[in-house]
Amino acid sequence: MSRTLELAQLPALARGYALLGSGGGGTTTMLELVLSDPSRWPITVFDVDELDPDLPCLGAAFVGSTMLLGERLPGSAPFAPLIAAAERWLGEPARAVCSLEGGGLNALAPFTLADDRIVVDADLTGRAVPGLDQMSLLVDGVPGVIATCDTGAGGVMLVKTDRPPDLERVIRSAIVQAGGVGGTVFAGFTVGDLAEHAIQGGVARALGLGTAFDAHRAAALPELARALGGRLLAEGRITAVEPDLRDPHVNVVAVDGRGGEVHRLVTRSETLACVTDGRLVAAAPEIIVVLDAVSREALEVTDLTMSRTVAVIELPGPEWWSRSEARRRHVVPSAYGLADLDRAA
Amino acid sequence: MNEPIGLAALLAHPANGGLRVVGGPEQGDWTGVVVEAAETELPEDGAGRLAVVTASPPLTPWQQDALVRRIADRGYRAFAVSRADGFGPGTRALAGRLGITLLHVEKPMQLAKACWQLVEGRDALTLSYVRKVSQSIQYPAENLPDLLHHLSSSLGHGVALIDAEGVLLEAGGALPATVHAAIDRAAWIDLASVSGGAAASVRVDSPSREGLRLVVFGDGLGDRQLAALGVAAEVAMPAVAARILIDEVAAVNDASSSSGVLRDFVDLRGTPDADVERRMLERGWRTTGYHLAFRMIGRSRLEPFQLLRLVSPELGRITAASHATTSGRGVTGWLTFTEPPSPEQTERFVSALRTLHGTVRRSFNVATGVGSLASGSAGLTASLSESADAARIAVNRSSTGWFVRVDGLGVEQLLLAWSGNDTFMPAARSLLTPIEGAGGDLLVTLTAYLDHESGIAPTAAALGLHRNTVATRIQRAQELLGVDMADPEVRLALHLACRAVQG
Repeated sequence: MSRTLELAQLPALARGYALLGSGGGGTTTMLELVLSDPSRWPITVFDVDELDPDLPCLGAAFVGSTMLLGERLPGSAPFAPLIAAAERWLGEPARAVCSLEGGGLNALAPFTLADDRIVVDADLTGRAVPGLDQMSLLVDGVPGVIATCDTGAGGVMLVKTDRPPDLERVIRSAIVQAGGVGGTVFAGFTVGDLAEHAIQGGVARALGLGTAFDAHRAAALPELARALGGRLLAEGRITAVEPDLRDPHVNVVAVDGRGGEVHRLVTRSETLACVTDGRLVAAAPEIIVVLDAVSREALEVTDLTMSRTVAVIELPGPEWWSRSEARRRHVVPSAYGLADLDRAA
Repeated sequence: MNEPIGLAALLAHPANGGLRVVGGPEQGDWTGVVVEAAETELPEDGAGRLAVVTASPPLTPWQQDALVRRIADRGYRAFAVSRADGFGPGTRALAGRLGITLLHVEKPMQLAKACWQLVEGRDALTLSYVRKVSQSIQYPAENLPDLLHHLSSSLGHGVALIDAEGVLLEAGGALPATVHAAIDRAAWIDLASVSGGAAASVRVDSPSREGLRLVVFGDGLGDRQLAALGVAAEVAMPAVAARILIDEVAAVNDASSSSGVLRDFVDLRGTPDADVERRMLERGWRTTGYHLAFRMIGRSRLEPFQLLRLVSPELGRITAASHATTSGRGVTGWLTFTEPPSPEQTERFVSALRTLHGTVRRSFNVATGVGSLASGSAGLTASLSESADAARIAVNRSSTGWFVRVDGLGVEQLLLAWSGNDTFMPAARSLLTPIEGAGGDLLVTLTAYLDHESGIAPTAAALGLHRNTVATRIQRAQELLGVDMADPEVRLALHLACRAVQG
C-alpha cells in the first residue's frame, strides 16, 4: 500500500533509520538538511507489489566516511552524474529508486531523488552494513547489476562484474581516490527483482520505530525497548574500550551492568554483538542499538567512550537475511572474522 | 582424580607450575581435579571440581568470558589455564560473579602432576620429597645453616632447627611462633597445623644437644603434604644430626689450633717470627693496626670451648674486626682497628666489651680483663698480656662486677699488676711518657720529690735547686700527667713507675 509522507514526518523517519543503523551507517543530519526543503514534499512511497515488475530501478548511497560529508558538503545533485552514466550504459532510464542501505543516513538517499523518480519501499540491507558486497542483490547473485561511483573531481567509474568482492574492492579504492567519501549508484535491476531479492517495508518500519521512540523517549528503559518491539539487553557504565588484537577496526566495549553483570559490546563499523556474563545475548544481523542512558540519544560506535552510561536494546534484524544460511553468513559476526559470536540460526 | 583437594595445599606445593589466583574466590576446597587438553573435552558434570586445561585460552575478551562461563555452567568450581593473567578485569569480575576461582598457571602439566601427587600419588609425593632431600645432601654444605639452606631450597619449604625456647636456625622463611607453639616436642614425628601455617617436625638425636627438632614448615600445607614432609624430615634428620657433630668437632679443632697459634705468638714476646706471622695471617689475624685485647676467665671451673661458643657470636655484634680463641682456662680475644680510634670510640668499644661480659655472665661465672689500646705486633702482645693481668685481678673484684680494665692511666690497676711480670714496665713507661718527652729534669725531680715524702724543701736541697724551681717542675709534671697528686694511691703508682723506669 502506497503511503504519502509529509515533511513533518521526516524527523521520526530519520530517527527510525538511526536506530536501524545499529550504531553505524552515519548520522542522518546531513540528508535531513537536504530534505528539509518543503518543495520536495509530500513524497509518495510505493510498495514493490504496487508497481510494474519490469520497471527499471536504481539505488543510491554514499560510500566511505560519512563523517566527511559534514566537511565536504555534497552538491545539490550528488548522484546525477552517476545515474547518467548508469542509464547510458544500460540504455534506458531507471524510473524507480530504492535504498541501498536500510539504516543510517543512506536510507534517506532515495528521497533526494523523489522529484523525478518513483520511490519504492525496499532496500538492499534492512540495516547498516559496511560492505557493498553485502547488498542483497549481490548476495543472491542477481545477474546484470552494475554500479557506478565517484572517482573524484567529477570523475565517474562504472563496474560490471559477477564477483561481488571485486565490486566492493574496486569501488572502495575509487572512493579513497575520491577523497574518502563519494556516491555510488546500483542499477541494472527491476522492481520485480526487489520482490525476492530485497528487504521490503523499511520506510514503514523506520517511521514506526521513530514515532514510537519519540513517544516513549522519556519512559523507563524496559518500556522504551518494548515500545520499539525490542528488548533491553544491558544498562550500565562503559569501563573499557579495547581494540581487538587482530583487527584494529574491532573494539570490545566493556559495560559494567547495574547489577554487576559483565557486558561486552563487540563493535566494528556497527555494533555486532552483545555478550553478557559470558553468554552471547545478541548478534548481527539482529540490530543492537546503544543509547545514551541519560539523553536517550542513539549512539554511533565511535561515541562509545569511557565512563559513558549507556543502555543497549536489541531490535529484531531483517528477517530476509535469516531465510537461508547462504544469506546469513554475509552478515553474521564471523563474516568479519570474529569467532564465537554467531547465533544459531 | 576424585578426591578432595584444596587451593591452599596447591598453592603451598613447591612445584605447582606457577599457580596463582587471578579472579574469583581466593580459597576453596574442591571435590577433585580434571585435566584435559581443551575445554571441550572436560566432562559435562563438573561436580565442584577443579578444571585444568593445558591449551592456551582464546584471546578476545568475549571468548574468555564465554570460556569461564561454560566451565562454571558445567559445575566446576575452579579453572586453571595458562595465560589467565592476560584476562581483563571484566573476565576476572565475571569469575567472581559466577563463584569460580580463576587460576593462572605457567605450566599446566606441572600443575596436573602436583594435583596427582596430592590426590592420588601420595607415595609419589613422599618419594619426590625424599629424593629432593637426598639431592640436597649430595651437595657439600659448609656448615649447618648451609645444609638447612640446601634442604629448604630443594624441598621448596621453610626448614628450621628448633628447641623448646625457640628457633635456633631457619632457612627459606620464618617459622611463625604460633606454629612453633603447636609442635609437640615429645613425639618422634609431629604434624602440626594451625591457622598461621603448618609444620612437620622430627626429633633430632644429637648426643651433644638435647631437645632439638628439625622442622619443615609452610603456609597452607595440607595433611598429605605434611605427612610426606614428615617422612622427608625423618630422612634428613640423620644428616642434620651428623652435621651438628661435624660442626662441633671442627669448631673444637679450630679453637685448639687457633689457641696454639696465639700461645706461640704471646711466647715470642714481640720478637718477629715469619712462621707465626704466617699462621696468624691464615686465620685472618693481622698484627698491624691498633689492638684492644680482652681476656675472660672462669671464676669457677668452666669449659673454655663452651665459653668461646657463646662469646664468638656475641663478639660479632661489636662493630670492629674481632678475634677470639680459647686460651688456658678462659677465652682471649681482641678488637683490631686499622686507624687509631679516638678516645671516645675506645671508650665505646670498652663499654661494648663490658656489655659482652655482662651477657656472658648470665651463663658463665667469668671475670674479664681488658688491656690498653696498643699498635703493632708488640702492641698486641702488650695488650694481650695486660688483659691477662687485668683478668687475674678481676677474679677477686666484685666491686667492679668482675670487670677490670688496664689502660694508659689506669693507675690503680697498674699498682695491682705489680707482681713481677712484663706488664708493668710498658705500662709505667706509657704512664710517664708525657714528662719523659717534656725535657728538663721533670722525671728526676718528680722521683726525688716522691722519695722525699712530697716535700719541696728537702727535694730542693737534695737536688741542689731552688725551691721555686722544684715547685714549678712538680706543678708542670702534675699538669702533663693529668693526675691528682693529693691522692695517695696515685702518688704510690707514680712513685713505683718512676722507680721502675729509672731503675
